[in-house]
Amino acid sequence: MFHKKRKSLVVMSVIMSALIMVSGCGASKPAATTPAADSKEPIKIGFLGAKTGDVAMYGLNTLKGLNMAVEELNKEGVLGRQVELVEEDNAGQKDQAINITNKLISQDKVAAIVGDPTTGITRVAGQIANSKKTVILSAGSTGMDVVEIGPYVFRDTLLDTIAAPATMKYVIQEKGWKNVALITSKNNDYSVSLSKIFSDAIDANGGKVVIEEFIQDKDTDFSGQITKIKSANPDVIVFSGYYTEGALIMKKAREVGIKAIMVGGDGLQGDDLMKIGGAAVEGSISYAGFSPEQPTPNTEKFINAYKAKYNNELPDLFAAQGYDALMLIAKAIKDANSADSEIFKDSLAKTKNYDGVSGSITFQENREPVKSPVYLLEVKDGKFALLKKVPVEIK
Amino acid sequence: MKKLLNNWIVQVLLFLSLLGLTAYGSQMINDIIPPYFLMIAFFIGINLIMALGLNLITGVTGQLSLGHAAFMSIGAYSSAIATVNYDLPFLLGVLIGGLIASVFGVIIGFPTLRLTGDYLAIATLGFAEIVRVQFTNMKITNGAIGFLGIEGSTTFPIVMTIAVLTICLMVWLENSRNGRAMLAIREDEVASSAVGINTTLYKIQAFAIGAFCAGVGGALFAHTTTFIQPTDFGFQKSVDILSIVVLGGLGSIPGTIIGAIVLTAAPEILRPLSNYRMIVYGLLLVVIMIFRPYGLMGGVNLRQALRRAMMFPKKKQAGREE
Amino acid sequence: MPILNNLMQQLVNGLALGSIYALIALGYTMVYGIIGMINFAYGEIFMFGAYAGLVLALTNYVNVYVALLGATFITMVLGVVIERVAYRPLRRSSRLSALISAIGVSFFLSSLMVRVKGPNTRGFPTLFENRIFEIGDFQITIYQIVIIGVAGLLMLSLHLFVTYSKMGRAMRACAQDQDAASLMGVNIDRVISVTFAIGSGLAGAAGVLAGIYFNAVQPYMGLLAGLKAFAAAVLGGIGSIPGAMIGGLVIGLTEILGVTVNLSEYKDAFAFAILILVLLFKPSGIMGRKANKKV
Repeated sequence: MFHKKRKSLVVMSVIMSALIMVSGCGASKPAATTPAADSKEPIKIGFLGAKTGDVAMYGLNTLKGLNMAVEELNKEGVLGRQVELVEEDNAGQKDQAINITNKLISQDKVAAIVGDPTTGITRVAGQIANSKKTVILSAGSTGMDVVEIGPYVFRDTLLDTIAAPATMKYVIQEKGWKNVALITSKNNDYSVSLSKIFSDAIDANGGKVVIEEFIQDKDTDFSGQITKIKSANPDVIVFSGYYTEGALIMKKAREVGIKAIMVGGDGLQGDDLMKIGGAAVEGSISYAGFSPEQPTPNTEKFINAYKAKYNNELPDLFAAQGYDALMLIAKAIKDANSADSEIFKDSLAKTKNYDGVSGSITFQENREPVKSPVYLLEVKDGKFALLKKVPVEIK
Repeated sequence: MKKLLNNWIVQVLLFLSLLGLTAYGSQMINDIIPPYFLMIAFFIGINLIMALGLNLITGVTGQLSLGHAAFMSIGAYSSAIATVNYDLPFLLGVLIGGLIASVFGVIIGFPTLRLTGDYLAIATLGFAEIVRVQFTNMKITNGAIGFLGIEGSTTFPIVMTIAVLTICLMVWLENSRNGRAMLAIREDEVASSAVGINTTLYKIQAFAIGAFCAGVGGALFAHTTTFIQPTDFGFQKSVDILSIVVLGGLGSIPGTIIGAIVLTAAPEILRPLSNYRMIVYGLLLVVIMIFRPYGLMGGVNLRQALRRAMMFPKKKQAGREE
Repeated sequence: MPILNNLMQQLVNGLALGSIYALIALGYTMVYGIIGMINFAYGEIFMFGAYAGLVLALTNYVNVYVALLGATFITMVLGVVIERVAYRPLRRSSRLSALISAIGVSFFLSSLMVRVKGPNTRGFPTLFENRIFEIGDFQITIYQIVIIGVAGLLMLSLHLFVTYSKMGRAMRACAQDQDAASLMGVNIDRVISVTFAIGSGLAGAAGVLAGIYFNAVQPYMGLLAGLKAFAAAVLGGIGSIPGAMIGGLVIGLTEILGVTVNLSEYKDAFAFAILILVLLFKPSGIMGRKANKKV
């Protein structure tokens, strides 16, 4: 018994000293590198997102887009410097995200941070980045109270408040589908917020929610909900979540003989929608900031390069927005002729009609992004095809 | 000297000066070290408070709980509601968070009267899932969108002072009649009830205190991140806290302290390995269980460790029989 | 009578969903019944089976039976390896250690799969054509029939195996008293290995069937499914094979009926609520024997 205890004490002291050493090493680092004296030093960009855990999918896809942007930027360099990505994994947890944001800013001294794809973590990280005067550009958050944090917080997503009502107007008034089945993914903040916008827009356009159903992200069995929807006999199914669940819902709906098509937000933008859903998602309507049918040369180049790099996989929305995020930052750095967040945040905020691969991006005065025009897309022969162009007013 | 230490006035004075020293010291640290390390220290403190609570339930009393994140979330949400919706002062909010969590600790403590071991573990896990689903569907918590606008009132001295308070409470408890009764329950429930220990009372007591700690930790967490969502308190969080207790050593306060330091700092140290972190983490749990089933510091208690460090050898202490 | 029609349809849905839970619960209950530990990694074995089936199915040379058998075989090996490496060294230590080790295995397997196959949900290739039968006012798909049928068949054969075969007798002996069984010449290690092999094989088969039925395979699919299956096993009476089947069906039906009465937000909570209630009021479950506390 005595020996055991002594051993644990030894173990304890070894761990303690190891910890002290590690933290000691870490602490001495910033002192050694004088900030940005050498202009040949790479410009560091931090990535904040989940590479493991439940929401890893969004983080990893953003990262793929980011890596493409880094590769492309480094062909010519930015201000004669290379761009270096500092990747960190927050596993979708806020405490980790706080530590990482602090690390990226105070240890790695990044010029800017791209991330997080989710609204929740962006809010938490945004407060830190804003107080430390470092630009953070979220490639995915759509919820409220993000850019309101302060002048260093940006995002490059398509705002649902503009696109979702336009979509409902088209569905209800032009298509005449008045009876709507509304499905929300209850544990997905994007879906909960979007459903609110959808249901307001449905009311405003004279439609009617005949049945409202709830699912959870990562659910796979929807038979109960679909059976109920079938007996409500809606003209259209509006689903506010992501493509995976969307595809599975439609598969089940077709199986029981529901003929109505699915309408959703840009969360449905993903090749997996068709890969998983197959024929069941034919005709599904969603919106995006770009048209795959008439892609800008930029978008086309991106898609082809992405396919070449990643095993013929098509980029999803997160990859495209991640790519755009870094490109926007690089452009702002070039315009401002400085990799200092305090300086280039102004040129970033002035971005107008930037020809991004996820759409033409303009930051409004409050830094909220507008992508104009919004494209309504329809799934046709297993591909997203252009349905309608909706111009957007920029404030 | 020994006699002097046993005098309660001296003890109280020592305790108060320890608290003062902590508050003062952490204020100094707060001003010196870079924010990155400060935040790590922050979360070490918060995790330590919660882990000490779980250590009391699982390590000392032997009731495996896989639902600690539920108590944490109850503390986090109720304190946030207290400070945001009712404008109560921050520390009162933390107390309320702890107390409400404690009430739920008693509620979930009751099943332990009938459940043991694995059943209890799964029941607490189920309880945590139900709590999470409930928070996702409540109006006042704002569902999945999350609770916004919490003030970042938690400061480093507050975290450290509460952590030291918790450690003192646990050390005191460990050496009290209650603590010994709890240990007896872990070692042999039937035997301890046979010698007249009210096992029901002590088990519920352990759950109430443990849940209180988790609630306080959750309240501090909410007022650090300033924004909470139900997904912050998933199964993963419960396992994280459990791992701290297990790694450090079941029932050992110094072990839990070390566990909190190592496991909170480990993701930061292991960042280069981040892609394989979770894989390594899983392997680590298995390996530790096989080679040191009572954790790295299983069976070591703080007084003995201190006494040895301070060269006060005392011949024999009732430790864990292995 | 639209409501009744709906109800019949929902019952069919619930039976199909419940059969998946039942399939996983069968393995759970076997392992628990014999060595008295919760194989927390069981859900991950189920997930591995689904991926094994997916990989096999994508080779194109394979029909549904080969995919099913292949996945079953792979998970059998996996289960035996896990038992050897992570559980056997802990057989004599506290239950807590074994459970934590199992949680470690569960984390390891799911994060490994994220590294290897990526975190995205993958669709399942069509291994056989789905057909829909209209019976009166409600419909049943061939997938649902297959799932309910396979679950019933496996339950029956497992029950027969455990009741009548020599190995089955050894298993039951181990379940009652390992030391005594060992004195009677039963090779405990072998019995436990076989138990894990059969249990894991069942999970693997369930994984493939779930993949086909839900058309989705995902690295984290195991955790929740595994926990609900555990709830099913407890509800049916842990250790009882028919009990696991009944438990699984009850949980599946409850979830679907919950959705029917507009409680779909709480779908994931039902299984756990049932679990806690059963544990409180009838810990031995529907079919379980009452266990006496040994002093």
